[in-house]
Amino acid sequence: MSMSQEEIEALMSGADDLEVDEQAEDTSTEVSDNDPICEEKADDSAEIDSPSDEIDINDILSGIDGIVDDEVTDDINVDDILSGIDGIVDDEKPVESSDSSVSKMESKIDDSQYPLPVSDENKVVNQLNEVADDSEEKASQIFDVLSFILDENADITKYNKNISEFIEKQTKLLESLSQKFPNVSVFNENLEESKELLNISKELGSKVDAENNKVFEAMELMQYHDINRQKIERVMAVIKKLSSYLNGIFEDDSGKAEVQIAKHISGDSHDIVDSDDIESLISEFSNE
Amino acid sequence: MRILIVDDSSTMRRIIGNVVQQLGIPKEDFDEAEDGVIAWKLFQDNNNYDVVLTDWNMPNMNGLELVKTIRAVDKKVPIVMITTEGGKGEVITALKAGVNNYIVKPFSAEILKEKLDGLVKV
Repeated sequence: MSMSQEEIEALMSGADDLEVDEQAEDTSTEVSDNDPICEEKADDSAEIDSPSDEIDINDILSGIDGIVDDEVTDDINVDDILSGIDGIVDDEKPVESSDSSVSKMESKIDDSQYPLPVSDENKVVNQLNEVADDSEEKASQIFDVLSFILDENADITKYNKNISEFIEKQTKLLESLSQKFPNVSVFNENLEESKELLNISKELGSKVDAENNKVFEAMELMQYHDINRQKIERVMAVIKKLSSYLNGIFEDDSGKAEVQIAKHISGDSHDIVDSDDIESLISEFSNE
Repeated sequence: MRILIVDDSSTMRRIIGNVVQQLGIPKEDFDEAEDGVIAWKLFQDNNNYDVVLTDWNMPNMNGLELVKTIRAVDKKVPIVMITTEGGKGEVITALKAGVNNYIVKPFSAEILKEKLDGLVKV
């Protein structure tokens, strides 16, 4: 349920009083510190304080329909709420210790599973292709809407033309009647109304024409969909060529078995032990 | 006037079709094809098109190949290339292949109307 204007104003005036309250507090603080002559003014400010003390914003809010207290209380369990909503998947992974997570990440990198597994849906070219196709489909639907508007406008133009023709006939009839019977005021009055309606009908026609022009403009702008699709296709082509090149240049056709690689080598910027570290570690573990 | 509209983008085919309809040509009088292969088949089957409006970059058979294929059998039918290819080299290539006119996307409806009017009068 939405708030009425009165309710909004009531809420606003409550908020204004609160602002006055804050300003008054500021003023009184300054006054007490500085000028004794201003004590009277400070008292005045204190008087402003008094009505606002009685205003409780929660009371105002509770009196207004549709205002819900959205403060999260301790009783609310977010997991319970989420479990009740379709389509919410719990993809949060439990927190692991840093050592085990590093080793698992390395394992995932070795298995080509990091950052994303190389599945059809994760391949960049496939994703771009999907975007292009989806965009084409949606553009077609937008075009359906624009075509519908044009068709409807064509009907409006047709009906308006019929109405306009009828009013023109009536206007001519009323013109001849008012000329023959100038003393009958109703003919003149109806003639004026008829002329006014004719003008409205013409204005309606020009408004529909203007709307049609805007729809045609929108249709023209939709060419950018095709242009952007071709830009995506160009990126896809570059990625394919790059992929092919990288596969070629990094291809290992030596036939040698994969060697275990060193994790920390002298010259690395961190995690390198020096002689003292080694000595202290040996003494710590008492293997001398 | 019978018109063949060739473009792999359905949106573009509709945009072009819409302009053609604004020229007073009813929907029944133009055919659509999404690539050069389908267009060539329609061209052979009907063989009564007054104008061919074709895109350049399309799957299976591109617009340039379509133009060359049509020109091998029909030297007269007016062909307009409507494409995103805006390079001078591409325009020359298309003209050498046999297109009568060339429009770079995005284009205004007025431009297409002018070109079609010119072709129809010729």
